[in-house]
Amino acid sequence: MDPLDRLRDAGRRVTDPFEALAQHVAERVLDLVVSALDMNALLDRVDVNALVGRVDVNGLLNRVDVPALLDRADVNELLDRVDVDALLGRVDVNDLVRRVDVDALVEQTDVGAVIARSSGGAASEALDAVRSQVVGLDQFIDRWVQRAVRRKHPAPPGPPALVAGGPVQ
Amino acid sequence: MSSGTQADRPVTSQGHYAGSVSRFLAYAVDITASSGVFALALAGISYVVSVVTGNHVSWNKGNIAVAIIFVGWEFVYFAYSWAASGKTFGMAVLGVRVVRADGTAVGPRHAVLRTLAFPLSFLLLGLGFAGILVQREHRALHDLIAGTAVVYAWDARAARLRFLAREAEPTASRAQLAGDERS
Repeated sequence: MDPLDRLRDAGRRVTDPFEALAQHVAERVLDLVVSALDMNALLDRVDVNALVGRVDVNGLLNRVDVPALLDRADVNELLDRVDVDALLGRVDVNDLVRRVDVDALVEQTDVGAVIARSSGGAASEALDAVRSQVVGLDQFIDRWVQRAVRRKHPAPPGPPALVAGGPVQ
Repeated sequence: MSSGTQADRPVTSQGHYAGSVSRFLAYAVDITASSGVFALALAGISYVVSVVTGNHVSWNKGNIAVAIIFVGWEFVYFAYSWAASGKTFGMAVLGVRVVRADGTAVGPRHAVLRTLAFPLSFLLLGLGFAGILVQREHRALHDLIAGTAVVYAWDARAARLRFLAREAEPTASRAQLAGDERS
């Protein structure tokens, strides 16, 4: 047997227990340190925004193979997990509808023709015109009266139940 | 129809307090319609009586019985219309309706009270109607007594859509004709 091998064996017999002991001590110390740490307090000290600011998100995303990721994802299962009612509950539909340019929609699509056919008619057209003119006169007179009486506070536009968003019954 | 005025006008008046012109015109239409119906009814009764009895019946304007029946008819016309739908024929034409002061629908009690208080607004040279012009909520004396208000019920947005649709339809037809000719 090579005398160097013997020496290595002897060395291993001495160093192995020490290594095991050192590892055990290190794990124990780590456990003690971790249990002594208040992680929440520690996290409070971390400036997450600064941390995120240092991350190159675009670079990170460039590395992601999105098609491969999508291939691995079961979209149906994902959708099954979505609570659609809760999702819709969070959507402000009124705000969404307000963003729709209805005038452009009617003018540029067949919806206009459908409305015209379903609700048109000479009488309806004449009535719309008369009412429109009368409302204009109402507003004109009201503006002059408001100026004449010099009202400091603006008058309410309508009854609370009707101008707060509720429909006219 | 003047296309410019209607297309450019704000369309959010539904539910707002109705102005003086709308209300006056609605009342004028109502008085004309109700008086016309009353006159037709009297003429019909006269005709039936003359056919049945052979005697000609003439209704005198000064006849107290006719006056009482006319007042009763007007009461029924207004009270029933307001109680049933919140609007009379004239109001329906002008696109306004009666609601309670808070905006909820009027019931029979408010309708009857409003009809009974309505003549009071004519007193003192119609001073009761001045509230339509100067009161914050455009409420006349009879509105204040009955706890009611008059609002626009006309859906101006729908009217605007109809207007735009009418404008769009000839354009679409022309485009379709041009497409047919090309093909």
